[in-house]
Amino acid sequence: MTQDEVLAGVAEVVGRIAKVDPVNVGAEQSFADLGIDSVTMVDVVVAAEDRFGVMLLDDDWSQFTNVGDAVGYIQQLAATGPTGATQPAR
Amino acid sequence: MSDSDLRVAIIGGGIGGLSLGLALRERGLRADVFEQAPELAEIGAAIALSANALREYARLGLVDELAAASTVPTELIYRHWRDGHRIAAEPVAKDNAYVERFGAPYFGIHRADLQKTLSTAFGVENVHLGCRLVNLVQQSDSVVLEFANGRVEHADVVVGADGVRSTVRRWVTGADDMVYSGTSAFRGIVPVANLPSLPDPQAIQFWMGPDAHLLHYAIGGHGEAVNFFAVVNTPRIWLPEASVVDVADEVPVASFRGWHPAVTEMIKAASSPIRWALFGVRPLLHWYRGRVVILGDAAHGMLPHHGQGANTSIEDAFALAALLTEKPDDLESTFAQFQVLRRARTRKIQRSSWVTSGLFHLPDGPAAEARNEKVARFVQDFGWIHEYDVQRALHSAGVAPAAAAQARA
Repeated sequence: MTQDEVLAGVAEVVGRIAKVDPVNVGAEQSFADLGIDSVTMVDVVVAAEDRFGVMLLDDDWSQFTNVGDAVGYIQQLAATGPTGATQPAR
Repeated sequence: MSDSDLRVAIIGGGIGGLSLGLALRERGLRADVFEQAPELAEIGAAIALSANALREYARLGLVDELAAASTVPTELIYRHWRDGHRIAAEPVAKDNAYVERFGAPYFGIHRADLQKTLSTAFGVENVHLGCRLVNLVQQSDSVVLEFANGRVEHADVVVGADGVRSTVRRWVTGADDMVYSGTSAFRGIVPVANLPSLPDPQAIQFWMGPDAHLLHYAIGGHGEAVNFFAVVNTPRIWLPEASVVDVADEVPVASFRGWHPAVTEMIKAASSPIRWALFGVRPLLHWYRGRVVILGDAAHGMLPHHGQGANTSIEDAFALAALLTEKPDDLESTFAQFQVLRRARTRKIQRSSWVTSGLFHLPDGPAAEARNEKVARFVQDFGWIHEYDVQRALHSAGVAPAAAAQARA
């Protein structure tokens, strides 16, 4: 998955939750500026997990400050497979 | 398949499992509960039921019976560990503030009393005791359940409500997802008469200090006893197989040396020196596999610092019952919708409970002062936990709320 594809997916998720147009969500934008606090951030995390099929670990996503942090993390996960997260036998 | 033909097997006769049985019955579906213990005897002393769960029980007409065995706290109070001064307080029973704000009451109740009310309402004939699940075999149109006592059952849907050490979860995820928190607790129930140093014995109170905190609230129909939960930041790793270990008599009180006399008096007054490891469940991507789904602690076991383990299990139960009745023929879509409805909500509380543990255990200083400002904003910062309404969430998701489903049945 390319960085642009991940960014588009994250922007869509963030846009829906922060109620802003996804085209206005860029990598450099901070979650705080988008009005996303630590509680709302969990909505972003869970929606991103469902969209990309990977687990975002609490210790990791709690360090994200901007959209680009999430994009880089998800892109790495998608490339290497989830770290430490459970994948059910399906 | 019509609704009433669906065979639902619930693994676990705790609060989540029995609540699911009741929630399914409300929507015209019967279920069987299989419990491994030889009798229904909830562990863990007491529980605080909050509005988000009690509004469901209220609809079933259970609140008067629960109220008779419960204490409504006068206030929620946060105190300093050593001098005991009030850091923050929020009225609960006082001025009927909690009910006014959240639309249902807040009860301190012994778990055994809650379980008795639920099992009686559900019907003890549908609770099968001494049934420890040892294997699940998924077939094309059903699931075979094998129990340690030799019993074999067939079900169309299996719900794992079997707690933080869930056997069903292990089958769903293929892994052990339990995580030790690095914290453990001492707990007990003490008659109020044995607590002369305790200010506001009828309040729910958090005493917060370096590397530990104490939570307590009154239980029983007349607030005659206090249930406490004393949490410490030790041991760093948990080696025993069991979740509880005996400790020497002096260990619990020694962990709170230098704390306010009300704290040490309460811990000393409890008779059982047992250490409980506090475990959570690592957040999971999927709560189901085939015809099998998990709920409550099995799906999202959390630290108890928001008092929401049982309350979120109850929410899960009523949400799942609604979705199962709506689409009994399409389990994949039902379970997927259940996750969508419940995963973010429970993950938020799970995460916040984990963070709260650290906040409660700060030494005096600037970080503790910032924490004190946060707990003083309880309603603003944590009201979202208590104001949640499962039926409203179902309605927003396009599922008929319980009253409408009843009218239709």
